[in-house]
Amino acid sequence: MARAKKNSAEKTPEASVFYIVGLVLLGIVVAAFIVSLFWTPFEPDATDAASKLMAPCASHPFGTDNFGRDVLSRIMSASKYTIFISIAGVAIALALGTIAGIPAGYFGGFTDRGIMLIGNSIMCFPGILLALVAVAVFGASVGNVIWALGLVFAPTFARVCRVGTMEIKELDYITHARVMGVRPLRIMTFHIFPNLVPQLLPATVIGLANMTLFESGMSYLGLGVQPPDASFGKMLADAQAYVRVAPWLIIFPALMLVFYILGLYFISEGLRISLSKGGK
Amino acid sequence: MTRHIHIVKVHHLTLSFPTRKDPDPRPVLDDVDFGIRDGEILGLIGNSGSGKTMTSLAIAGLLPEAANITSGSIKFAGKDLLEMSPKERRAMLGKDIGMIFQEPSTALDPLMTCGKQLDEVIRAHQDASVTPEDRRKMVTDMLRIVGFTNPDEIYGRYPHQLSGGQRQRVLIAGAALLKPRLLICDEPTSSLDTVTTVSILALLRDLCHRFHMTILFISHDLSAVRGFCDRVMVMKDGKIVDMDTTADILNHPRNSYTAELLTNARLDTRNLGLEPATVDYSKSPVLTAKNITAGYAKPLFGRSKNKTETNNVLHDVSLEVFPNEILGLIGGSGSGKTTLIRSLLDLLPHSGTVNLRSSSVGAIFQDPVSCLNPAHTIKWHMLEALNASGKKRGKVSRSERKALSLKRIITVLEECGLGEEYLTRRPKELSGGQRQRVAIAMCLIQEPALIIADEPFSSLDASSSAELLKLMTDINRERNTAFLLITHNIHIVRQIAPRVIVMSDGRICEEGTTSDVLNNPRSEACSALLEAERRVHGTIS
Repeated sequence: MARAKKNSAEKTPEASVFYIVGLVLLGIVVAAFIVSLFWTPFEPDATDAASKLMAPCASHPFGTDNFGRDVLSRIMSASKYTIFISIAGVAIALALGTIAGIPAGYFGGFTDRGIMLIGNSIMCFPGILLALVAVAVFGASVGNVIWALGLVFAPTFARVCRVGTMEIKELDYITHARVMGVRPLRIMTFHIFPNLVPQLLPATVIGLANMTLFESGMSYLGLGVQPPDASFGKMLADAQAYVRVAPWLIIFPALMLVFYILGLYFISEGLRISLSKGGK
Repeated sequence: MTRHIHIVKVHHLTLSFPTRKDPDPRPVLDDVDFGIRDGEILGLIGNSGSGKTMTSLAIAGLLPEAANITSGSIKFAGKDLLEMSPKERRAMLGKDIGMIFQEPSTALDPLMTCGKQLDEVIRAHQDASVTPEDRRKMVTDMLRIVGFTNPDEIYGRYPHQLSGGQRQRVLIAGAALLKPRLLICDEPTSSLDTVTTVSILALLRDLCHRFHMTILFISHDLSAVRGFCDRVMVMKDGKIVDMDTTADILNHPRNSYTAELLTNARLDTRNLGLEPATVDYSKSPVLTAKNITAGYAKPLFGRSKNKTETNNVLHDVSLEVFPNEILGLIGGSGSGKTTLIRSLLDLLPHSGTVNLRSSSVGAIFQDPVSCLNPAHTIKWHMLEALNASGKKRGKVSRSERKALSLKRIITVLEECGLGEEYLTRRPKELSGGQRQRVAIAMCLIQEPALIIADEPFSSLDASSSAELLKLMTDINRERNTAFLLITHNIHIVRQIAPRVIVMSDGRICEEGTTSDVLNNPRSEACSALLEAERRVHGTIS
């Protein structure tokens, strides 16, 4: 009856709302990336002395920068690095975190303490500082940025895996597998890992967003993607000097960054809701 | 206050869970119509999924959000509960309607002392004029009433320092504090052993008289209502199929479904056709365990203080299981049964020797919810068990081997009463009884000489238990598999196990043929178990 229905207005929005908003925001960035693989309005690195700091117009919809490079083209090519670095970095972090976290949770004792000691040592430094040091020592390149960020993010995933494993290993089906004579490695990979996915999935998506923030920060400080290649962080840093005369140099890269990160956050929230509802 | 003949009147209640995909599903409660008389104890019996819990939640106003009441009304002392605002209903909860749940281990907050939690109950429902001293006195008085001789000590204890039965007593104290007129007990005893069950039921009955409470007692075990409930109501598929006084239901069931439940509750061998295999005790045993001592380690930081002190749960236990034998292992909670089997399965460090005359040993556990991996299909489970046994190696091609394994899996599943269509299902699509069957099938495919079953019946309803019991005896007879059956249900042991071991305080206190041990108990623990069994289930000739 009607009164039974009234309460439902107060509950949290459906997961699909988060998915739709998240996918639309993320879609803008991903579409820019895909199109940039085949076509950009101008060559991203081509300078044009005749059209410096042009406001958005018909031929340059997002304007041009101080070298006369087309901002739209540069944004499109910058999205490539943002997406590539965040995915590769998270993949490394996820792999390292899972490989370290599941045994830590499964065996416990000294294995656990040893692995978590390493993880906690990494976590007790500010992440960006550690990544900056690594890049400063080994040289600034896209490859080093990915490795450094992957290492910095690994302990977070290790913790998620460890706690999840500790919960799951006490359940009867794991005991059952042990009684049946399944080897520990197989228990960890085929019996425990699939059950961690509901916890790892939202963490991964959030990881992508955080990774992007770190990457932009590093590029902003000049230790990430190197010129002349474009990246959102680098474009923001370059645009700082012209913020009064050419605000479009800041607005458009910043907007893309916001779309990407916000999109990921929305999707992770949607995942969290739908997995916690139908997880069991 | 006006007195009504019926304190609760549920009038043609129909309830369903509509979803977007299926806006008009089969109702969970279908035209449920009954009354609870003031001061009586009404039993509500039914198998899992029959809607008994939904009925109680509807009365308490705690239905899940997705539930939709399509018709009917619920009247409590003349007031229509469905017309009330959420605020009014909340005020009624606790004060007029109290509830006790099934699982005492999760119903208490682990971070709050018991006394504090009971104190919260009074605080939530009474004005600020009551002083903390008064509240404390009320709580300790109530703790004394529910049977604690040391209420002040219990007041300061945390839930994990209490046993299951003690926690249930604390919960009952909490529910009785506000002296509600109706107390809903949702399977309050199904996670407790028989001895504790008897004492809890006696306590509830005592409270019922003392505070003039009405009790709605929900259970899947028809035999538990004996000597406790005044009237019994039987539910099936959301409908009330039978309702009568307890004596009439138990002695002269008129409805065929009630009769079936009753037979299942009795687990009668003659009706089920249980025929365990005959045992030859001259053969060498499949399992020999000698002088097993085991315990749980102290926490890492507690160790340094007292190195010599051990925390042993098992003391010097020795036992043998013969081929074809169903060996019963009984004992109250905390007697070390589970620790013993964990040691036998080598899951726990222990001293002493365990000799297995078989390459593999199967195990079935208590909880049908967690016995299967939710991420995988039944086929995967069976393949995993088959591969882990390592027996299928032969000089055959991969595809041939696959076909062979699949054939074996289907044979074993069918033997356990599950068809081929279950292969692609996932555990959450199966009922508790079906999951236990899959667990047994996983053991069988490894062809063990011994299967250790740790309380496999305690979470299943009577019908599923009976079917599982039949399956176990069939396997025992046809495959010559020995069983070590751990249970607190003496009745089952009496029916199928030729030999029985009684455990108490981590020691074996009695051992011998079942008829001998159960008819002439020599130890105190064994007589206590038998006495409790007699009071719950009645005398069984």
